[in-house]
Amino acid sequence: MAEIEIRDIRHVYDQGTADETVAVDNVNLTLRDGTANALLGPSGCGKTTLLQIISGLLEPTEGQVLIDGEDVTDQQPAERDIAQVFQFPVIYDSMDVYGNLAFPLRNGGMAEDEIEERVHVIAELLELEDILHSSPANLGPELNQLVALGRGIIRADTSAILFDEPMTDVEPARKLTIRRRVKEAQQEFGITALYVTHDQHEALTFAEQVAIMRDGHLVQYDTGENLYANPVNTFIGHFIGSPGMNLIECGVTEQDGTPHAQVGPHTVSVSETIHPEIDLSWTDCKIGIRPSSVTVQVADPKEDTGYIPAIVDQVEMVGGYQIITAELENTDVEVKARVAHDFMIDEDASIWLHFPPEDVQFFHEDQAIRAG
Amino acid sequence: MKQRPWLFLLPALLLVSISAFIPLIAVMNYSQLTLLPGTQPYFSGLENFVAILNDEAFRGALYRQCIFSFLVLITEIPLGLGLALCMPKEGPGVGVSLVLLGIPLLIPWNVVGIIWRVFTRSDIGVLPAAFNWFGYSYSVSSSTIDAWWTVLAMDIWHWTPLVVLICYAGLQAIPEEYYMAAKIDRASPWKTFRYVTLPNLRGVLIIAVLLRLMDSFKIYAEPFVLTGGGPGSSTTFLSTYTSRMAIGGFQMGRGAATSLIYFFIVILLSFVIYIVMLNLGQGAGGDK
Repeated sequence: MAEIEIRDIRHVYDQGTADETVAVDNVNLTLRDGTANALLGPSGCGKTTLLQIISGLLEPTEGQVLIDGEDVTDQQPAERDIAQVFQFPVIYDSMDVYGNLAFPLRNGGMAEDEIEERVHVIAELLELEDILHSSPANLGPELNQLVALGRGIIRADTSAILFDEPMTDVEPARKLTIRRRVKEAQQEFGITALYVTHDQHEALTFAEQVAIMRDGHLVQYDTGENLYANPVNTFIGHFIGSPGMNLIECGVTEQDGTPHAQVGPHTVSVSETIHPEIDLSWTDCKIGIRPSSVTVQVADPKEDTGYIPAIVDQVEMVGGYQIITAELENTDVEVKARVAHDFMIDEDASIWLHFPPEDVQFFHEDQAIRAG
Repeated sequence: MKQRPWLFLLPALLLVSISAFIPLIAVMNYSQLTLLPGTQPYFSGLENFVAILNDEAFRGALYRQCIFSFLVLITEIPLGLGLALCMPKEGPGVGVSLVLLGIPLLIPWNVVGIIWRVFTRSDIGVLPAAFNWFGYSYSVSSSTIDAWWTVLAMDIWHWTPLVVLICYAGLQAIPEEYYMAAKIDRASPWKTFRYVTLPNLRGVLIIAVLLRLMDSFKIYAEPFVLTGGGPGSSTTFLSTYTSRMAIGGFQMGRGAATSLIYFFIVILLSFVIYIVMLNLGQGAGGDK
């Protein structure tokens, strides 16, 4: 098992031609030994390119890939001991499941009795024993994807496994089972894993740490909890969470000697801890607040100045809760708030919203402002 | 209106029935008649079939035909696949190779025969001149061996490009991920070919084999122009035999019966090859 480190990776496609595109730029990332990681980002952000650079299918234009401290940038995929599971099940369909699982071992010259033992270990783990001698053509994409995974982890020297949106072909109902087996296999062998997806739910349930990419850059590499609570910029704030963080353009004003956010005629308090960091001369500022952190009040709070009056625009039932979209009074700012499923509210009703200061994020030029 | 889809198929079905079913039924009818010039046709049952199956010339033509088609398949398919593997995958080379490969396919059959006839003429031909220079006396009209391999070479020259094009299209359709996976699984180039390229080409190879089988069985104009079926009857194939029987020999009934036998042999062979290739190595345990 291994620690994977990538340093200053840059990759340019069609360099020197009119079609030149920078797919990945200035990416540094260390995946600790035995951890489950995800690489998340919108389509076309360079995730797959980065993955192929790690597995060795693609040589980066610049930068290094290190496995356990050893520079493997010039090594072929076979030498790196890295397995990869592709977007759709890549199966050798002229062989049965057993033949597929045994394939990498046979290529490595292992003795047949050892191969058999190893195949059974993997088949048991992935619950494939009953179909070992079936033809993959007769199995669904879910099982085939498990076979592809098995082929990846069957070599005892597999140091890491990379997944490239492996659930694309899998029926939604079966995703959970498949992901569970994948996760079990990862934990059982303590394999360093990197799971590429554009689905944040998949990323957050699979991985301990998630790396988020945008336009070829690594934006944030953190735990799911931190990505949700402390996004480094407005992109992460909006990208993580469903619906994403409310991002409201604001100005900075001084009130009672402390900086506040000014949204139209309304003043919003921000956490005291970041007061020293805020410069009153700033423009291009935003405050961010999670819909779940917004407090909604139906009765007029009168004297309580912490509340902002708003008109309900839309109420959507989303399973166990409702999402209210409301427009702040005398502005064209819309804010989403999450309320309980039995919260009674009509469209066009007047409500009052409160943004608890400790939950308000402050962004200057789209970068989060943090204490200290 | 469950019948509605059939309405859309109707024009096609009508065309096919006019072009294929009706002539076939007519041939079935003729095959059971004795049709000689100047006499009234009369029904003779299976007599024509019995006579043909007992005809040494027919058996000879069938035997030569099977050997010829077999040789065509075992040379053109691997050669075509090999060339397709060597073709560039992108860049200006693709267009150039496709055009070069297309040229033989654009030439009509009888013209191919004429071109090769000029090649092999003893007075001005390139081939005899080249062989004479090496001290081998080459002659299509007197040596069975020369006639055979020249007909074969002509067919390979004419039709291998078709196999190349089919295989090339098939190769282009194999997702890159299969090759990536094979790399990661440390498969050797041979194993990559054996487990990635070949199985993924199964479908197009079946088509290539069937097309070449059926077409080579129908070969007529080229040997007719080049060798006239000779020397002796050494390059007389089934089609030449059939046309001689029907037109040269004025035995339309026998000709019709020969066509039917011919037709069933082609269908049977195609079917067997199709089934065999479809199931070849599917889901087996893999080589140890």
